[in-house]
Amino acid sequence: MDLNAPRAGGSERGAQAAGGAGGADVARHAIGGVAPRRVARPATREEAAGVLREAAREGLAVVPWGGGVALPHEAAPQRYDLALDLGALDRIVAYDPEDLTITAECGVTVAALRAALAAHGQELPLEAPHAARATLGGALAANASGPRRLRFGAPRDRILGARYALGDGTLARSGGSVVKNVAGYGLHRMMCGSRGGLAAIVEASLKLMPAPAARVALVYAADAAALAEAGRWAALPGLEPAALTVAPRDAAPGGAPHGDGFAVTVALEDDAAWVAEQERRVTAALGAPALRLEGAAARALLEDLADLEETPGPRLTFATSGNTPAALVAALGPLAGARLVFHAPAGRLHALGAVADAREAVLALARAGFALLDARGAGEVPPAPAPFAALRALRARVRDAVDPGGRFALGERWVASG
Amino acid sequence: MTFTADDLAELRALLGDDGVLDSEAARFTYEADALTLERALPDVVVLPRSTDEVAALVRWAAARGVPVTPRGAGTGLAGGATPERGGIVLSLNRMDRVLRVDAARLLAWVQPGLVNLHLSAAVAPHGLVFAPDPASQQVSTVGGNVATNAGGPHCLKYGVTFNHVRAATVVLADGAVVTLGGEACDGPASDLLAVVVGSEGTLGIVTEICVRLLPRAEAVKTMLFDYATLGAACRTVSAAIAAGIVPAAMEIMDVHTVAMVEAWLGLGLPTDAGAVLLIEVDGPAAGLDAQAETIARLAHEHGARSARVARDEAERLALWRGRKSAFGAYGRSRSGFYIMDGVVPRSRLAEAMEGITAICAERGLACGHVFHAGDGNFHPHVLFDAEDAAQQARALEASHEILRLCIRMGGTISGEHGVGIEKRPMMAELYAAEDLALMTAVRAAFDPAQRLNPCKIYPGGAGCGEGRAHGRPPAQLGGARAGEGGEGPWI
Repeated sequence: MDLNAPRAGGSERGAQAAGGAGGADVARHAIGGVAPRRVARPATREEAAGVLREAAREGLAVVPWGGGVALPHEAAPQRYDLALDLGALDRIVAYDPEDLTITAECGVTVAALRAALAAHGQELPLEAPHAARATLGGALAANASGPRRLRFGAPRDRILGARYALGDGTLARSGGSVVKNVAGYGLHRMMCGSRGGLAAIVEASLKLMPAPAARVALVYAADAAALAEAGRWAALPGLEPAALTVAPRDAAPGGAPHGDGFAVTVALEDDAAWVAEQERRVTAALGAPALRLEGAAARALLEDLADLEETPGPRLTFATSGNTPAALVAALGPLAGARLVFHAPAGRLHALGAVADAREAVLALARAGFALLDARGAGEVPPAPAPFAALRALRARVRDAVDPGGRFALGERWVASG
Repeated sequence: MTFTADDLAELRALLGDDGVLDSEAARFTYEADALTLERALPDVVVLPRSTDEVAALVRWAAARGVPVTPRGAGTGLAGGATPERGGIVLSLNRMDRVLRVDAARLLAWVQPGLVNLHLSAAVAPHGLVFAPDPASQQVSTVGGNVATNAGGPHCLKYGVTFNHVRAATVVLADGAVVTLGGEACDGPASDLLAVVVGSEGTLGIVTEICVRLLPRAEAVKTMLFDYATLGAACRTVSAAIAAGIVPAAMEIMDVHTVAMVEAWLGLGLPTDAGAVLLIEVDGPAAGLDAQAETIARLAHEHGARSARVARDEAERLALWRGRKSAFGAYGRSRSGFYIMDGVVPRSRLAEAMEGITAICAERGLACGHVFHAGDGNFHPHVLFDAEDAAQQARALEASHEILRLCIRMGGTISGEHGVGIEKRPMMAELYAAEDLALMTAVRAAFDPAQRLNPCKIYPGGAGCGEGRAHGRPPAQLGGARAGEGGEGPWI
């Protein structure tokens, strides 16, 4: 079977989408500059399973592919024969607003999901950089998050169940589409963040939220000294803002003060009365903001802030339990030279661009309570201190259990992560 | 298997004299959880005090091939803590301390034997709460909540236990100790934590837990509506969700349950109602009245005959008391009953109720309901006369048909109680063989010899029973025992 060619009888969606297979198509699926030998673009989950069965027979190393938001920036895998492009699996399978849940195929874009839900006053509690391109499957595989990580939960907090194609072409599932389900292991939760290293997620069900009645974003200019004033920020976690993000000042939208230093965005989303009260309390603590946005403009700002983390170039990502802008101060020295994006409520820090000495920076941040979650193109970094031999061995056994043939090329990376 | 005097001496050397119980009385105490149909005597019961002691015990058991069944408070309703293959029951009840509260960072480290409500009490002075509140929370432990990924009335708004666990220290089957997750969101190995939570003690023994805390809601409003029919109450639930309101809780009791609660406690609930619907909204004081008004309007549009609104905390507790006493009320009635824990999409609740009524009526049986309507998670109590073996057999058959109905409607066989032994045979109806093969492969990756809580969740384990759901009917009254203390608020 020629994996580049649309299968006879395959659906039109997949066939059309597969058009242009060849040099350009493989180049578009490069990881770390290395293109696969072939690209397959199945149109149904059964076709995806068939591609994997064939790949297993041929002994190919496979990487499932979504919108190409994160993978191109990853380091090249040791072997990369086949990109399993799941973008043509783009149907919404079931959506009844009264259930406040949705089931969709993995190739539907995050933006398309948002649009479908917005029509019913509901919200996708899943943030992903570049939502117009990012797919549901990709966002889950990347464990994507953004400024509202604490409010929304991680993808694994929101996923109710999934279907996935295993490395031998078996289709399996765990969980379901209802909001409570404790029957069997939550393997779908485990696969969130696996970057396609364990299985190819082909369909997932998510728990949704009603869209907030009101949104406000308050943007403050701050320098390092202002960030360090812990007392200024102390009341904010208790107010449960939707977002509290520190970003480079020049990343703030037009109208905000430009130049050196930081922009601190406090986003409030809830019913109108509570947002007004939250705003009153925030301005009592922080003063008048440099910029105030409402509604769609506030939401657009949050999406822009989510996009920042997918800037091409080196990136270090950390997690800290510090939950106010003051926590960032300990990171400023070691990460000098990088552009910092810090989503405070969830303690997620992205350092974008080159750092003078990444190795020393990671060690210094570890001492300050920032655990390294991911390092991309940042040069040599010390191994995370956590992977004790026992944990690494356990991860290796779990990978062998889920993908005994080692079909998925990024599985080694999954074993080494966490 | 028999433990020799030398074995027991070794265990006492590891855990101290008071950490090892081998008297017949002690062993009988630990033969079952709240699902008393499923009993098996452990050979010995151990009560370690630390992660190190748990690890030492697990290593000792691994070297001898002895099964270890971890146990919290034993409030489980699925037989998850029954030591089906004997061996060691490892009670975590003595590991019951709050290790650290970090109020600024909204988290706490606790030991697994800590009672759920004691955690809430410990963080209350900081204005914080631990959101998961299974109705068993006066007795059940945080470790047990983690094992079953427990829910509770308020998980409608706040999510289930998994959503509130940041990290755990876990003793693996070979005695190795690992930390999964971290104090920060999405810490290292959070993906494995995500599968350990809800694994019913089959993947490891959780010995320390980092929980996420929430600021206590500023205000709360509790309402009770009564309806002529169960279906009308169910439709109000869907309407509230569709209107963009996620209340903290939406709970329904039907006419049978109200009658039992009234016969016992005389709370003044309307016994002529087809169903009562308890709705609680919480959050900032600003905006709460508007939410409550919207709910009241929807309730009346869907046929609510009257409404009671709690004016203060005492009235709120009074409204909740009926709901929280429901299981105890069944437990003290003369009737036998089987309880299920099914889930359907919440928009199909009314349809599911009709289906359940039909399934029971075809068999000449009555069924009572008390359930988490907002989540589509219901607990039908299929009633039978325990003196009448034929009727009891029909009730068992009806309970299986009800779970099959849930599966057909796109739901599941357990929303919060767990699979344990009780629902093990139904797993093969819910999942395809490929799904179960993958899950058991992951179990083997964690515990190759299947020594931690053997036989649970998945059918067909070597040396395991079939579970009685498909076998002989139980010989005792009731599917489970109600709490001996207080009003038995287990569900």
